[in-house]
Amino acid sequence: MKALTHSKIILTILILGLAILPVILSDAPWPVQARDYLFGNAKADTGADNTVSAIYLGYRAMDTLGETLVLLVSITGTMSILINLGRHKVDEEAVTFSLEPEKLPRHSLRTNLIEVVASKLGPIVLLFGFYVMLYGHISPGGGFQGGVIVASGIVFLALGTELKTKLTNTIVLSRIESLSFLFLMLASISGVFFESGFFGNPVKTMQNLSPNFIILLNIIIGMKVGTSIAVMCIAMMGGSHDH
Amino acid sequence: MIIYIFILSLILALGIFALASKDLLHSVIALSAISMLSALLFTILRAPDVAITEAAVGAGVSTVIFVWAIRHTQRRDKEGS
Repeated sequence: MKALTHSKIILTILILGLAILPVILSDAPWPVQARDYLFGNAKADTGADNTVSAIYLGYRAMDTLGETLVLLVSITGTMSILINLGRHKVDEEAVTFSLEPEKLPRHSLRTNLIEVVASKLGPIVLLFGFYVMLYGHISPGGGFQGGVIVASGIVFLALGTELKTKLTNTIVLSRIESLSFLFLMLASISGVFFESGFFGNPVKTMQNLSPNFIILLNIIIGMKVGTSIAVMCIAMMGGSHDH
Repeated sequence: MIIYIFILSLILALGIFALASKDLLHSVIALSAISMLSALLFTILRAPDVAITEAAVGAGVSTVIFVWAIRHTQRRDKEGS
C-alpha cells in the first residue's frame, strides 16, 4: 500500500516534469521591449543603479507595500497562535537525536552541533545581511534579501549562545518591527508633500535623482523583514529568550 | 544546456528521496540540498537576487525550523502509517 502511494507520487512528479520540459528547452526569443526601456531609463527615473531595486522600490513600490503587509498579517497570525499554545507548558521529552547531556532541561533547546556551528557563523551572517541590505541599490540584493539573511543571523545567535542579549529578545525585536512599519508608512507618504506622489522619491535634484530614498526604503524593509522572521523563529523555538 | 538538465535532474532525484525517505532528518537535509542547487541554478541564469534569497531562506532558516520541528516530534516515520 505504502509503496503504491510512493510510486504514484513519483509518477506524478515525473509527468509534471515532462509537462514543463518544453518551456525549459525552448529557444524562442524573450520579449525585449521592457528590458530595453528599463536598461535605459531606470537610473534616471528612480535613482537606483540596480534595476531590480529600481523596479520594486521605484516603479512598483506599491507592490512592496503590499508584500510587507502580507508579511505583517502572517506574522500576526502566527504569533497569536503561538501565544495561545504557550499557555500550556509543554515538557521537552521528544529529543530524539541529542546526546545524553543535552537532555538536561538547561540544554533542552540546543545541541552541541548547533551550538558549535551557529555561534561562530552568526556574526558573519549578520554582517553579510547588513551589507546586502545597505548596498541593495548598487549590487544584487536589497531589503527583503538582506532582511532574511539578518533574520538567519539572529536565529543563529539565538540558537548558538546562552547569552540573553537584546538582539534575541522578542519584545525588543517586535518593537523594532512595529517601528519600521510606521517608518515605512511615513516614508511612503513623504513623497506626497514634495510633488512626487505616493511612494515618490522626495529628494528632487535637477539632473539625476539621488539613491538616498532607495537606501532608506531598503533599510526600513530590511529591518522589518529581519526582525519579524527572527521573532517568529525565536517564538517557535519556545521563546526561551523572551525575558 | 547540459548543466541545466543535470542540476534539474539532481533536484528531481533529491525531491523523490526527500519524499520516500523514512528518516525525516535525511529528508530535511535533502530539501536543503535542493535549495542550494536551485541557488546555483539561479546564479547561472544571472538572477543573483533570487539566488541570495533562496540560499538564505531555503538552506538557512527553513532547515533550522524543520530540524526544530523534528526535535519536538519524531525523527523516524512510523511503520505502516
